[in-house]
Amino acid sequence: MTDKIDAELVEVGDIDTEAWNEFATAQGWSDGLPMIAPTEAKVARFTNSVKTDNETFAPISPRQVVPTLQSLAANAVMAGCKPEYFPVVLAGLRAVLEPAYNLHGTLATTHPCGQLMVVNGPIRTALDINCGSNCLGQGRRANATIGRALQLILLNVGGAKPGDMDRATHGSPAKFAYCFGENEEESPFKPFHVRRGFRPDESVVTTMAAEAPHNINDHASNTGEGLIATISGTMSQVGSNNAYLQGPSFVVLGPEHAQTLARDGWTAESIQEALYERSKIHVSRISKENLESWAGQDRHPVNDHYYPAGSPDHINVVVAGGPGKHSMFIPSFGNTAAVSARVSL
Amino acid sequence: MRIVNPSFGHVPAGAETLKTGTVDWKRDPILLFSNSKPNAKELLEGLKAKLGTVRSTEGIDFVWKPSASQPATADQIDGAARHYRAALLALGD
Repeated sequence: MTDKIDAELVEVGDIDTEAWNEFATAQGWSDGLPMIAPTEAKVARFTNSVKTDNETFAPISPRQVVPTLQSLAANAVMAGCKPEYFPVVLAGLRAVLEPAYNLHGTLATTHPCGQLMVVNGPIRTALDINCGSNCLGQGRRANATIGRALQLILLNVGGAKPGDMDRATHGSPAKFAYCFGENEEESPFKPFHVRRGFRPDESVVTTMAAEAPHNINDHASNTGEGLIATISGTMSQVGSNNAYLQGPSFVVLGPEHAQTLARDGWTAESIQEALYERSKIHVSRISKENLESWAGQDRHPVNDHYYPAGSPDHINVVVAGGPGKHSMFIPSFGNTAAVSARVSL
Repeated sequence: MRIVNPSFGHVPAGAETLKTGTVDWKRDPILLFSNSKPNAKELLEGLKAKLGTVRSTEGIDFVWKPSASQPATADQIDGAARHYRAALLALGD
């Protein structure tokens, strides 16, 4: 559905919640879930929460219009955010607007990628962002609404409307909301954002155009070596965009898997190196047509293998979740980057 | 109740839409624009052959995005606008 209204402010009359949602859906503003009406008063509370953030925004793909702070805040209101969540939403938006992220490609693609947001630093606890049990699932307002707000911004300001400019073949539940925090408190490694050059006391959002998480179940392996075998085996996927295009991914280690790895001497960096090498895909697993297609793109195997990651650094290792012998692998769109942005408070 | 339009934004300076005239499909230069997905080239070559039955194929040219996973470059879009009256896009996979 195309936008029917060009004005920044819209008088919608004296309507109730149900009528408001019918109106918003008719405008093409909805992700299918009910939304809060972005009244001027509510939007003002959000824009007042980011007074230290004065940088302008680049045009948002694919529609290529420059947002106003008010229109961005309206989407955060509609998503159900609290005003204090808004700086995290804006940090996520700044990250996906970096050219390396390839926002246009990630939104217009047939691939089922959503915008993953990984939050580090003190803002996690200040906003009650779930980093523990069920952190990628339902139940926590901050995770659900911060992730949703970014998606709504890309839908409404960016114009990534399903079936129109968003050409996803199936889409993904990851396109509703995709936000969690690193469980820094239970991680044996330095926090992810510190490994990327930020200070521990800074709050940082890292984004990536990501598939929904793929589970890595390993209850039996009680050594780091055993876990590396299971994790790398899960990453070695022929149909993944990473197999075609390489690019970044996330490995979200459950705290128990992370502790086992650390106990056996593994570091985040040595995990990256091992997973890079052991997730390679033998040519015998790849179709003849794909081999021909890749050769036509001047992409050739190395010792009869293709690497799903361009380098060990493409494999972003974080720790999150609660008790249990599970980790997660999150492949990406491929032609994208994991981009971090500091939260302006 | 007055709300803030969640789709509101400004068109960047210099990005205004220009009106174009009608296209003479039998004579005007036409660009066949590939999204660089598998089989896009074959699709467009078939289109060029079909066009060749009703007009000269001179002035019917191809261009490919640098990658299926990236948008066309600004130079490609600018070049298409400068030198051709119409562009036919291969959007299928």
